[in-house]
Amino acid sequence: MNCEIFREMIGSYVDETLEESRRLWFRTHLRECSTCRESALRKEPSLLFAMAPAAPSEPEAIEACAAAVVGRIRQDRLERRLHQRRRPWLAAAAAAIMVVSGGLAWRTMTGGLSGTLQPVVEAQRNSDLQHASPTVEVEMAGEEVRVYQFANDEDADTAIYFIVDPALEL
Amino acid sequence: MNDHQWIQSAKNGDEDAYAELVRRHSGGLHRAVARILADDTEAWDVVQIAFLKAWQKLDRYNPRYSFSTWLYRIGTNLAIDFLRSRSSRERAHKAGTEQRLRLVGTGEGAGARADSSEADNVLQQLVGVLTPQQRSAFVLREMEGLETAEVAEVLGCSATTVRNHIFQARKALRRELRVRFPEYLPASERG
Repeated sequence: MNCEIFREMIGSYVDETLEESRRLWFRTHLRECSTCRESALRKEPSLLFAMAPAAPSEPEAIEACAAAVVGRIRQDRLERRLHQRRRPWLAAAAAAIMVVSGGLAWRTMTGGLSGTLQPVVEAQRNSDLQHASPTVEVEMAGEEVRVYQFANDEDADTAIYFIVDPALEL
Repeated sequence: MNDHQWIQSAKNGDEDAYAELVRRHSGGLHRAVARILADDTEAWDVVQIAFLKAWQKLDRYNPRYSFSTWLYRIGTNLAIDFLRSRSSRERAHKAGTEQRLRLVGTGEGAGARADSSEADNVLQQLVGVLTPQQRSAFVLREMEGLETAEVAEVLGCSATTVRNHIFQARKALRRELRVRFPEYLPASERG
C-alpha cells in the first residue's frame, strides 16, 4: 500500500508540488524501500541525491572548529586592544617626525647643517632597551597569552609590545 | 539551554557560550557547505569564517529566524563567493585532474543499492555542471531536506526562484547521470 502511494507521488515530488509533510515521508520511504528506489530512479535518476541522509560529522573536527573560532575571536579582541594602545605612540611618532623634519629644514635653510647626522638617537634608544626590564602590561585570564611591554617608565609612548605564550620562558 | 539562551549569553560577550553554538551547528553547516563546494577540507575553512562573521554580526541577528537558517545564509553566501573565485583556477587544470569515479555498483540495479556516501561521491563529480546558485538550492533542498521557504531565506531570493534553480539543477544532473553514470540507472534505461 505504502509503495503504491509512493509511486503515485514521484511526479509531484519532482515537480515540487508535494506538501512538506508528505515530502518528508516520501524521502524516508525512498531510503528504506529498495523496490521503490529502483522504480523512482527509473522515472527520475536525479532522485539518487535525495537518498543522501545526514552523515554524522566527526566530533574531533567539530571541537577543533569551535576552538579555532573562539581562538580567533580572542586574538581579534586582543589585537583591537593593542591597536588602541598604539594610537598615542603613533601620534607621538608623527609629532616627532614633524619636529625633526622642521628642524632639519630650518638648519638646511639657515646653513647650519654640515657633515652627517650622528646616530645619537639610535644609541640612546639601544641603551634604553638594554636597561629596560619587561613588565607584564596585559595578562588575559584564561587565555594562553601575555603581552609584555618593554619601555622606560618615563616614556610609555615608546613601548614595544610582545605577545608571548606563557609556556615559553623569556 | 536552547539556542536563544546561548545567543543571548554570546551577545553579552560570553565566548564559551558561542563555542557551544559552534559545537551545535558546525556539523550541519559543514555537511551542506562540503556538498556545495565538493570539498571537505575547504568546507571547514568556510565554516570557520562563517562563524566568525556571525559573531561580528550577532547584534544584527533577528530571532524571528532560526539561528541555523541565519548561519546557513552566511555559510552559503561564502561558499558561493568561494566557488566564483575558484572557478577560474579550476578551469585551468580541470581536464587533467578530472577523475572517473570508481563505482561500487556496476551491475544490475546499482541505483537500488546506492547508499548515502555514493550519492555524495556522484554529486562531487557532477556538481561542476551547476551554477553556484543551482548547487546551493539543490543541496539545501534535495540533500539537506530544507523547506522551500527556508532555502529562499538562505539564498535571499523568492520561493519561485528556488523552484526554478532546483528544476534546472535536476535537468542538468539527469542528463549528466545518463551520460556519465549509467550504472545508476535501471537496466532498461541504459544505452
